[in-house]
Amino acid sequence: MASRVEIKLPSDMQYLGVPDAVLMEIGSDLECGQRALEELGTSVIEACTNAMEHGNKLDDVLPIQVIFEVEGHEITITVLDEGPGFDFEHWTPSDELMRQRGRGILIMREFTDTLEFGRHEDGRFMIRMAKKLAPSEDD
Amino acid sequence: MKIKERKRDGVAILEMSGKLMGGPDAEAFDETIKTLIHEGCHNVIVSMERVKWVNSTGLGILISGYTTLKKSGGELKLLKVSDRIENIFIVSKLYTVFESFQDEAEAVQSFS
Repeated sequence: MASRVEIKLPSDMQYLGVPDAVLMEIGSDLECGQRALEELGTSVIEACTNAMEHGNKLDDVLPIQVIFEVEGHEITITVLDEGPGFDFEHWTPSDELMRQRGRGILIMREFTDTLEFGRHEDGRFMIRMAKKLAPSEDD
Repeated sequence: MKIKERKRDGVAILEMSGKLMGGPDAEAFDETIKTLIHEGCHNVIVSMERVKWVNSTGLGILISGYTTLKKSGGELKLLKVSDRIENIFIVSKLYTVFESFQDEAEAVQSFS
């Protein structure tokens, strides 16, 4: 049976660990590989960093919303912010190894099965990612 | 994030704990590195044993420290990076830049 958990957070980076903790709790009931779960946790932290910093400009009056949907061993996470978003279609990763910023999308893309950026039906900017957390042999 | 500083054989060991995620963390880390350089200490080991997670902004903090120390003729190396954080270094290819150790004595020895 599918289940759904929703949280709202102020746009304050001190709360970035909360969605990771929620995910670890959800994952603890799924008997999934720890590595895959941590990769998704790293990805949700990146998505929330983007939403707080670039979307809501760290205005702690503006909340971000994180929705976790679990179906079988697949978890889909949607992160919503109030910002203008950006053009993912034309995004290309920088090849400057020592750049100080701009790795968030790369990390999310590497650590998830699907990653999309767009506009939610209510107008908010949305990052949605999904990953199948099958039991892993590497744990 | 908290930073606890100590020295071993002339090498500064920065024991980080908590979450490495930019913002005020960046200023605190940057200030620590600059103070060490000012004191004449250019070789630094960042112990990650008690760091729960790192985001891309946190990676930027380490890159900034690495670059600052390199320019001063020193080096920044990592100690006890968890599997979770090592995975991020691998996908971002930063494992090719940062030398990493699991044993503190070995890390300190690598500067001599």
